[in-house]
Amino acid sequence: MGNSKSFFEFEAVVSSWDILLKGFAVAMFAATLATALAIILGLVVALMRLSTVAIYRWIAFAFTQFFRGVPLYVLLVWVYFGLAIAVNINLSAILAGVVTLALLNAGYLSETFRSGILAIDSGQIEAGLALGLSKQVVFKEIVLPQAFRIVIPPMGNQYVDAIKDSAILSIIGVPELMRESQQLANLYYQPFEFYTCAGLLYLIAVVLVSRGTNKLEKRFYTHSAQN
Amino acid sequence: MNRTTESYIEIINLSKSFGSHKVLDNINLTVNRGEVVAIIGPSGSGKSTLLRCLNFLTRSESGEIKFQNRSWSLNSEGKRYKGKKYEKSLSELRSEVGMVFQNFNVFPHKTAVQNVELGLIKVRKMTKNSAREIAIKKLEQVGLGDKINQYPDKLSGGQKQRVAIARALALEPRVMLFDEVTSSLDPELVGGILEEIRRLANTGITMLVVTHEMGFAFQVAHRIVFMDSGKIVEVGTPDEIRNSQEPRTRAFLSAIL
Repeated sequence: MGNSKSFFEFEAVVSSWDILLKGFAVAMFAATLATALAIILGLVVALMRLSTVAIYRWIAFAFTQFFRGVPLYVLLVWVYFGLAIAVNINLSAILAGVVTLALLNAGYLSETFRSGILAIDSGQIEAGLALGLSKQVVFKEIVLPQAFRIVIPPMGNQYVDAIKDSAILSIIGVPELMRESQQLANLYYQPFEFYTCAGLLYLIAVVLVSRGTNKLEKRFYTHSAQN
Repeated sequence: MNRTTESYIEIINLSKSFGSHKVLDNINLTVNRGEVVAIIGPSGSGKSTLLRCLNFLTRSESGEIKFQNRSWSLNSEGKRYKGKKYEKSLSELRSEVGMVFQNFNVFPHKTAVQNVELGLIKVRKMTKNSAREIAIKKLEQVGLGDKINQYPDKLSGGQKQRVAIARALALEPRVMLFDEVTSSLDPELVGGILEEIRRLANTGITMLVVTHEMGFAFQVAHRIVFMDSGKIVEVGTPDEIRNSQEPRTRAFLSAIL
């Protein structure tokens, strides 16, 4: 190795801490914004999938298949470079990253939401309709709140995935945690230290998110056993 | 009892199939205003389906249902209603026809009082305050005055069914449909719910009650409809049905009573 230093020397990591934290913040920002957008988009796609209008169902089906089927890496390249070349839409790296992550996660979440909605006992819907409530009110007041409880855990998983997937945004130069770690690792010739540190930061984020979803789930679970 | 001879609900030539299985086979029945009609018969005879056709939770494929001479199945040209506008108009009918289910179907994410006030707010367009006032009153009437803020998972089966009854009654429907409402209850809770229905029967509201509680049916109903294999075999007063000479009715009653 021509280098006298031992494994795991963390001086460089400590002195670059602010850069790593900034990278971490960018990663969390991208993952969080993307997940939030994916929740909205995923719900719309799920509703289209459950629509009585055939064309909506087809569009939703194609959307889900496409964005679940294409690797994030490829999708990212298309959104960032492809859109610029093909239709002259030049997104900033961070925006392209957020859009890509949002589309990918919306593909997964649409299926999660669809199954959550379908899991609601038809008796619940009938009881609402029997009161004279419109289908829209039944959905908003009765189906959605109960489906939401069901999809909290998978939604938490999706957020966790988005946090880890955000590492791939490094390939288009988004200054997130992975990108910054790469550059620092190259600068100091200490890949092991920097990547380990990055890994720990992802891990901490994931543990915190899991705890958050657990709490949320408990809060909503308390009174929602069906009948 | 304020029974009248004014025909209130008319069921004309109603048929319904699930696949090749004919669940309702040319049903004809008229119910007068204020009348309490019990529908009895073996499991799978189509009793519940008939009830569900009345508020259009189940759609019959032929025949007609009229409330106060207004057809909810066929338009003035005799064609079957369909489409979005019709679906919307059904809400109007349903808000006048209360239904209580075998499985309670209370909303688990809402407290007792929220269950009851939902229809008042969303269907009757009441303010939150006046809806709550009525909801509390209705829950008190069914003996749940001390449970208004409980979630259903903290209530017994009987209490859930009372919430469901209060929820339907809050809208002051003209007709009540009871679909085997005691079948999911522990035996010791059945009596209390039957008592609620009996009280309601005395208020003069029009009721159709699908039930396996024969004693109750014969006590409370003005008329009894006996169904078998998707057909109405016989309709009569409790006395007439009790003394029926129709072999299927006799076989059913002797097996049960």
